Order: sequence, then C-alpha cells, then structure tokens
Amino acid sequence: MKKNTSHDTIQDAGGRLLGLDGVDGGRIRGLLESAKVMAETGGMGGAGEAGEELAGKTVGMLFFENSTRTRMSFGLAVQMLGARVLEMEAQGSSLAKGESLVDTALTIESMGVDGLVVRCAEAGGAWMIAQHTKCAVVNAGDGRHEHPTQGLIDLYAFAHAHGRADSWDLSGLTLGIVGDVVNSRVARSAIAGFTTLGARVVCIGPVAMVPEAIRCLGCEVERDLDGVIGGMGGGMGGGLDGVMMLRVQFERHGGDGLRNDGAGRLDYRTRYAMTVERAARLGDGAVVMHPGPMNAGLEIDLEVARGEAGGGRSLIREQVAAGVAVRMAVLEEVISGKNV
Amino acid sequence: MSSILITKSRVLDPSQQLDLQADVAVSQGLIQQIAPDINPHGFDQIIDASGCLLTPGLIDPHVHLREPGQEHKETIETGTHAAIQGGFTTVCCMPNTAPALDSPLLIQGLIARANQTAHCRVFPVAAGTINRQGSHPAPIHALADAGAVGISDDGDAIFDSSVMASVLKACADVDLCFMQHCQDPTLTRNASMHAGEIATRLGLIGWPREAEEIIIQRDLTLNRSVGCRYHIQHVSSAGSIDLIGTAREQGQPVTAEVSPHHLNLTHEACAAPDGRSFNTNAKMNPPLRQQADIDALRHAVADGIITVLATDHAPHALHEKQQPFASAPFGIIGLETALPLYAQALIATGLIDWPKLIELLTINPARLCNLDRLGLGSMALNSPADLTIIDPNLTWTCTEDQLAGKSTNTPFIGETLTGRAVTTIVQGQIVHTMLPIHQSGQPSL
Ligand SMILES: [Zn+2]
Repeated sequence: MKKNTSHDTIQDAGGRLLGLDGVDGGRIRGLLESAKVMAETGGMGGAGEAGEELAGKTVGMLFFENSTRTRMSFGLAVQMLGARVLEMEAQGSSLAKGESLVDTALTIESMGVDGLVVRCAEAGGAWMIAQHTKCAVVNAGDGRHEHPTQGLIDLYAFAHAHGRADSWDLSGLTLGIVGDVVNSRVARSAIAGFTTLGARVVCIGPVAMVPEAIRCLGCEVERDLDGVIGGMGGGMGGGLDGVMMLRVQFERHGGDGLRNDGAGRLDYRTRYAMTVERAARLGDGAVVMHPGPMNAGLEIDLEVARGEAGGGRSLIREQVAAGVAVRMAVLEEVISGKNV
Repeated sequence: MSSILITKSRVLDPSQQLDLQADVAVSQGLIQQIAPDINPHGFDQIIDASGCLLTPGLIDPHVHLREPGQEHKETIETGTHAAIQGGFTTVCCMPNTAPALDSPLLIQGLIARANQTAHCRVFPVAAGTINRQGSHPAPIHALADAGAVGISDDGDAIFDSSVMASVLKACADVDLCFMQHCQDPTLTRNASMHAGEIATRLGLIGWPREAEEIIIQRDLTLNRSVGCRYHIQHVSSAGSIDLIGTAREQGQPVTAEVSPHHLNLTHEACAAPDGRSFNTNAKMNPPLRQQADIDALRHAVADGIITVLATDHAPHALHEKQQPFASAPFGIIGLETALPLYAQALIATGLIDWPKLIELLTINPARLCNLDRLGLGSMALNSPADLTIIDPNLTWTCTEDQLAGKSTNTPFIGETLTGRAVTTIVQGQIVHTMLPIHQSGQPSL
C-alpha cells in the first residue's frame, strides 16, 4: 500500500511543540504565563503535590538519546499534573533491534498514550514522529535542531531576572549567545523565542561555530566577545543584558571545525570562555546562563557558573528550577489544549 | 515481428538534423522509411501521432536499478517498466549494487538478467575500483570486453589521485568514458543537504559546493595528460559550470550531465512546504542547491557546456526514506517525471527548443556510452526501431498510483506537469502506449 507523502504544516498546530521557530508570540507568552502559575502555586495539587490537570492521561517518554536532566524534569512534570508516565528504555528497545523511529512511536501510541515526549539524536526526529501520530508530541531535543522547552525555560528565567515576567515583553533587552551556536539546539530555540518576544539576539563565536548563515534565524553575528562586552552601548558590560554560554560540542564538529585538542581548546578559551575576568566586565544587570551540561573550565569557569565570582548574576540554578513548571505548562497545553 | 506505421507526427532526429512532418515506417524491428504520406496498406499497427513529436528512443545514462542485492528498492523489471513509461528505451545502470559490479562475471550476469526481465535496453556501467572502495582499480579492460559501457564508482568519487590516474588511463585504453561522482568525502562528513540557510535553520550539517568543484578541478588536471573521455555526473554547482566551460574551451574531452531535480528545485524543497519540515524526498547527493545554481545549470545546457541529461533515478523504500533526515538515504526516482521536468526547466523558459532537448536525450548520451555504434540514439534507416512519441502539450498530475517502479520517493508527487511520453517502442515493439493503435488485421510481409 502506497502512502501519501504530502506533508502537512504542523509546527504551529495545537497538540505539538516541535520547536519555537515559527511559533507566534501569543502562544509563547501563554505558555510562560501558565508556567508562572505552576511555579507559584505548584499547580492544582499545590506546592509539591500532584494535581489533577491531566488526571487519567498517559504520557510516553521516547528518549532515543540518553538524557538525565531533561528526562527527570519531564517525568516530574507529568507526575505533578496527575498523569501516568510510560517509559521506554532506548537500550534494548525495539529501536535497537532495527525498528524505525516512526514504528516505535506508533507502537507506543497504540498503547493509548495521550502525548509523547521525544528526545532524539537527529534533527527532525520529533517532527517525523508528529507526521505519523495523532497524539500530542513534545520535542525534548532533536539533534542540532531545537529544544523548545529549554528555550522556554531560558525565556522564563531571563524575563524574571529583568522584571518582565508580567508582560513577557523583552523589547530593549539584548541577549548574547556565545560559542557553539551551529551545533546547538538550545541556541536555535533561544534565538527564535527571544526574538519573537522582542529581544535582540547577538551570536558571538568563531566562524566554525557561528556561521554567517545563522543570521537567517533573525540574530546578529559578532566575532569579538571582548569587544561586545566592552564596547556595545558604551561603558561597562556594553549592551548585553545576558549571556548564554553554550556547551562546546567538539564531537559534532567535522574536520573543518574546531578540534578537540590542546590547540583547539586553548583557542576557544582565549577568545570565548566566560572566565572570572571576563565576567567581571559584564554590567551589573547582566545575567549568565548555561543550558547545561557544562564543560566547566572550558566555556565557563565554575566560579562564574555558581555565581561565586564575576560581575554577572548566574541564572543557572533558576534555569533548572524553572524546568518542571515550564514542562508542566507545555504538557498541559499540548494534551488538554489549555493555553492561558 | 509486426510492422508499425506512425503517422502525422513531427519527426525529430538530431543525429541527422531531421525536423519534419512525416510518417515513419518500422518493420523487422528496424527503421524502414521516413517520408510524408506513406501508404498505410499492409502495416499491422498504425498509430496516429498528430500533434506529437516522434523521436529516437530516449536514453538515460544514469539510473540505479538496484540489482543485484537491493531488490526491495527496485529491480531491473520494475525500473525498466518505469523507464518505458517515461519514454526511455535505453538505460545505463550504475554499479553501486550489492555486490558492486566490479567483475566481468557480474557484468555478464547483469546483462543476462536484463535480457530475461527488462522492458527496455539495459547497459551496465562498471565500477572503476574493486568493491567501489577507491583503493584498487577494477579490471577495466576485461569489464569493457564483458559489456560495460562506462566506468564509474557512482555514489563515491575515486578520491586517491594515483588510483584515479590509473583508472583514467585504463578507460582511455578501452575508449570508455569515465563517469565521476564528484564529491570530496572529507568535506561532506555527516552532511545531508546543501550548506546554506536551510541547513542552518534545520540543524543539519551542510554539504558545500566546494566538495564537487575540488574533485572536478583535480580530475581535469589529472586528465590533461591522459585524455580519457571524462564525464561529470549530476553536476549541481554554478562553480562547476565555470570549470567545465573553461576545460571545454581548451579542447579537453570533458562532458557533463544534469538531473531534472537539479534543474528545477532548490534546497528549499528540503524544508517544504512550510520552511520548517524535513522532506527526505528532497534529500539527494549531490544536494539541491540555490536559484543561482539552477540558473547556471540551465544556461550551461543552452550554451552547450552540459550536453547530456540524466535522471539519476534512485529508488528507496518507504521505510528507508521515513527516517530522520540525516539517516534517510540520498536520492529520488526520476524516470517517469523526467521529460516534463526537462521541458519545464529548459523549453518553457525559452532557453532551448525541442530538437535541442531531444539531442541531449538521444544521440549525445548514445555517444557518451558508445551506443551510437549500435545505431542507438538515431533514426537513421535500418537502425534499431527504438522510438518515443511525445505529446508536448499533455498536462497530467503525477500520482503515486501511476508510478511503475517499486518506490515512490519523489518530491514531484502531486505536481501538475506538461509533456509526456505517450508511446514507447523498443526494437519495433510497442511496449508502452497511451494512444489508440489501429490494427489493420492484415498479415505483415
Ligand atoms: Zn552519483
């Protein structure tokens, strides 16, 4: 039986969150507002207790790629909404035995799940599954493409730090995304989310990590981090209201990218690491973010990450803390259709 | 063997510079007569081809029939069924099978299999190196004697320069063309689409134009002292056109082919329809590039730099294409949609006319693969009656149901196309027709 190969436009459809690219500001603000309610009240169940928002529902966790933090955060969010979690182990799964991504998803869907949370090592994995399933689908990270719940978490933490958590309007604020942008799904989601809410986004890094083509996502490109910190807007801290330090993913670079050897690491650290010295030159209001997991001592010094030294205020703990509330908001929206 | 009269068509045979309104008579499998108003008396089958073009059977020098070893994608039987539906009477199949066609025995086996199952003529292209590994030249003299009509490691370039030089020399010895799949593998690791904004947006690793151009540049340099007939497969980059044009001006024996998809689609097809999708039916090697490349490729055809058209028909099963983009295999099918897509890119744009297009689909590929020596690609009297009747104005919509091959991996499903092969005749046998055939009922002579 031949199957129709035509693709529907599903990125912005209800029931799916596959990326932030192309998602309108209204939906993003609604999710953030809903996350704020979840964080402040703990949801229907109250602080620390499971609620009933998704009582009777089942959420399948399809983690085709290892992840501890994201998986635990989603798992907790499902439980806090009163839903059941159906876990699939990637190791020893039918996928490892040669079943395709789509067929594995269809099998799990047939068990009666209401939503799937998909983590996949390849760009487009969650999109592909959404093409062939009818249940809700949330992308929990697909290769180098997008990690939309992380993007929402970054928006949430950044907006709170700058007193914008009522309007969710980031106009007049500038975010610097530093480092391995080309290999980062977190960066793609952040660029889309921050620019949609009105912020200016500047990607800063070497050509191998920040290609000119990245401008098509709506960001600016700079090569000189010290120049940006010292120069933009004049005075200390320049115009940066926040920096997002990305994990350097040497393993994803091809032969023409940055090498994971002494020379490559030294080169990177010299120009782009958020060292204690560099952090000291950030403006007082600037925040330092890192989506984790960190290469402490490479792209960021541990003292800066922990907020023990440097000028900017580390939001890294807040980012993790916001994770469960944001994921509760997303799951409730895609499964029950609720968006405040 | 029945006799056939095809009446009232515009007869185009670029091999003889023929372009006239005439009837064509076929008997004993050969072209017997081309003349106005041939007396229909005594012919077994009469086809009224008014409003149509009658041309030598189309030749595709680059298809993947997947036999032996990948019969779940396509077979010689199904692939050639697609070929005759598209108007092709001859296809040259690539050696990237399992095992690769790198020995005389395998070439002979493929020819024997085609004789049993094919709907049209099939000529094998043999591998240039053992198992297409690029490290040891294949027995090219013996492959030529076994029936190979070209040499190629298609799917990969021969990357080692000394091996390449050796293969070029052997091809020159036996007067076979060497067909290069121009791809520097060190610049395309894990790459799955054109290096540009779409790949950046989708988070896919980009495949730069330089990967193609570097191989062409090296080969043109190597071949300067060898003089082998060097053929560039599925050219995709505007920069390659400059290199080929300069080499041809210098008199180097270099030719190039271009595919229907590279003439019609940009990398945006990979993200179609909303710019955020992952359309694996637009994933191919070399990748779809940008509008400037399309423009350069089209003009290169008009300027005589590209002289051959080839589909690179590359079937893949649904389960293979239904994977995340980077994991899905490269390639799309092309035999049934090729003709209207060539016309759309080259004739509807006013760049060339039908006689020119037919030249690129008949006598030019025939010469590339020495098939002109068998009389193919021409309607000269007494040459094999391989013929294609084309309705240049027939508008049709491509649907999966009408595709004859085993696989349906094409981004052109649902497209409305203009122009179609309405009859295909191989060696005097009507193997495909959408036109009524009038049977005279009288025995042939
Ligand atoms: Zn090829």
